[in-house]
Amino acid sequence: MRLEIANLTKRFGDNVVLDSVNLTLDGINSLVLIGPSGGGKTTLLRILAGLEHMNDGNIIINSHCLNCPEQELLEYRRHIGMVYQAYNLFPHLTALQNIVLPLTQVHGMEKRAAEEHACSLLERFHLAEHAHKHPAALSGGQQQRIAICRAVAIKPEYLLLDEPTSALDPEYTSEVLDLIEELHEEGMELVLVTHEMGFAHNAADYVLFIADGGIAAHGTPKDIFETRENPRVNRFLDKVLKYTS
Amino acid sequence: MPKKNLSPRLRDQTLQEQDGLQRKNPPRSSSQLRRGHFFRALFLRPVSPDSSPRQKDNRGILAFNTLLVVLLLSGLMWFGFSRLQYTFMWENVWIYRVNLFNGFLMTILISLGSLLLSTLLGVFFGLAQRSRIHILRIFSRFYIEIIRGTPLLVQILIFFYVIANALGVENRYTAGIVVMSIFSGAYLAEIIRAGVDSVGTTQIETAKAIGLTKPQTYRFVIFPQVITRVLPPLAGQFASLIKDSSLLSIIAIKEFTMAAREVNANTFSTLESYIPLAAGYLLLTIPISFLTKRLEKRFSYET
Repeated sequence: MRLEIANLTKRFGDNVVLDSVNLTLDGINSLVLIGPSGGGKTTLLRILAGLEHMNDGNIIINSHCLNCPEQELLEYRRHIGMVYQAYNLFPHLTALQNIVLPLTQVHGMEKRAAEEHACSLLERFHLAEHAHKHPAALSGGQQQRIAICRAVAIKPEYLLLDEPTSALDPEYTSEVLDLIEELHEEGMELVLVTHEMGFAHNAADYVLFIADGGIAAHGTPKDIFETRENPRVNRFLDKVLKYTS
Repeated sequence: MPKKNLSPRLRDQTLQEQDGLQRKNPPRSSSQLRRGHFFRALFLRPVSPDSSPRQKDNRGILAFNTLLVVLLLSGLMWFGFSRLQYTFMWENVWIYRVNLFNGFLMTILISLGSLLLSTLLGVFFGLAQRSRIHILRIFSRFYIEIIRGTPLLVQILIFFYVIANALGVENRYTAGIVVMSIFSGAYLAEIIRAGVDSVGTTQIETAKAIGLTKPQTYRFVIFPQVITRVLPPLAGQFASLIKDSSLLSIIAIKEFTMAAREVNANTFSTLESYIPLAAGYLLLTIPISFLTKRLEKRFSYET
C-alpha cells in the first residue's frame, strides 16, 4: 500500500481535528493508528474510507486521489472494506443476507452466486451455523466477525477497521483479532484503529500515533513500543498499559 | 433480546433481572408487596423464555375470557337500556335502509380514495423534511403544523368554499377526498418521519460504506425497518380517517353519518339510526386492525 498525505486539514465547525498533516509511506501492508480519544484517529480513518470530505490538502492512496466529488468517492468506497466499532450489521437481515446485499446490489452478482460465495466465507471462518440468524441472536464477537466477512466478501483492495473490538466484551476480543490476523497473513492489506496495543505491536508494519490534531509520532512497532523515544507516546502507553502485565 | 438461545442458567439470570422490580427495593411492607404484585398482574405479563413474546393463548381460556368480556359489555348495555325504558322501533328505520346503505358506500368510496392519496402525501412530506431543498423542508413544516393545529371542520369549509372554488373544482366528492387526504397526510407525514428518524445513523453510515446509493439505502435498509415500526400508528390514523370523513356532511356530501342523521330527522328514532352507524364504522375499522396486525407479523424481525 502506498499512502501520500499532503497538508490534510479537517474541521468540524470551528474545531480543527486534523491540522496540515503530512506523511508519505510506501510498501506498507498493515498500518495501525493509535492514540488518545478525540485525537483524530477515527476522522483520519473515515477520510481514508471516503466517508468524509477533507477541507484542505490531499490524500493519494495507491492510485486513488481522495480529494474528489462525492460521486467518485462512492465509486472508491465500493472497492474497499470498512468495519465500524459496532452495529455494522443491518438488524432486519440475517447474517447471510447482510453479506449478500452489497454483492448483489452494488457489485452486480447473481443472487445464487452471491449466496454461495457468502456461505463459503462463513464456512471458512466457522460461522456457517449462524448464516440464517439475525444480528440480535448473535454475540458481539460473532456480529463483528460477520461484519468483517461482509467487508472482505467484495474482495476489497484493502480493509479499514475502526476500533473493531472496542465495543466488545473482553472475552470476544480475541476471536475478532484472530480473524483480522488471519486475513492479514493471507495478504489482505489493513488500516486499523485500535486500543489493543499487543495486537498493534504484533500485526502492524507501521504505527501512527495520532494526537492533538496530527501525527504526533510514527514509526515501526519497534520504534514506538520498544525504543520508546517520544515522551508524548510514552505517557500514553504508560497509561494504556498500566494494568496489563 | 432473544431468550431462546440462552443456556438455562443464563436464562434464569435474565429472568431474575426482569424481576428487578422486586429486587431493587429491599425494604417493603406486606402491603407494598401486595401492591407490587397487583401492579405486575395488571401491566407486566411475563415474557416466556421458551417461545416468542407473542405466544398463542390457550384456546379454551381465550374463548372463555372473550365470552366473559362480551357478556360483561352487553350486560352493561342491557342495564343502561332497561333503565331508559326505550322502545326500539326498528321498522321505521328499515324503510330507509337503502339511504343508509348508499351513505355507507359513499363513506367507503371517500375513505378508500383519501387513504391512497393521503398515503402518497404522507410519504412525500415525511421524506421531504429531509430534503436538500430548503424551501421544501420549510413548506413541509408549515403544512404539518397548520393542518395538525387546526380543526378539520374549518379546513373542510375553507378548502371547499375558498380553494376549490377558486380552482374551479365543482365536484364536491373530489374536493372531499382531497381535503381528507390533506388532513390525514399531515399526520401520516409525522408518523413516517419519526419512523425514518428511528433508524440509527450508524446504519446509514454502514450503507454508505458498503457503497449503496441513497435510493438503495432507503429501499434496502430504511424502509424495511420503518414499515414494522410505523404500522401500528398508521392503522390508528387510517381508522381515524374513516371516522373523520363524517365531517364532510357539512359540505353536503351524503356519506354514512349524514344518511343516519337524515333517517333520525325523518323517524325520530335516534338510537335505531345511530346504532347501525356505529356498527357500520366498526365493520370498516376492524379489518384495518386485522390487516395491519398480520402485516406487522409478516415484516417483523427480532431486535
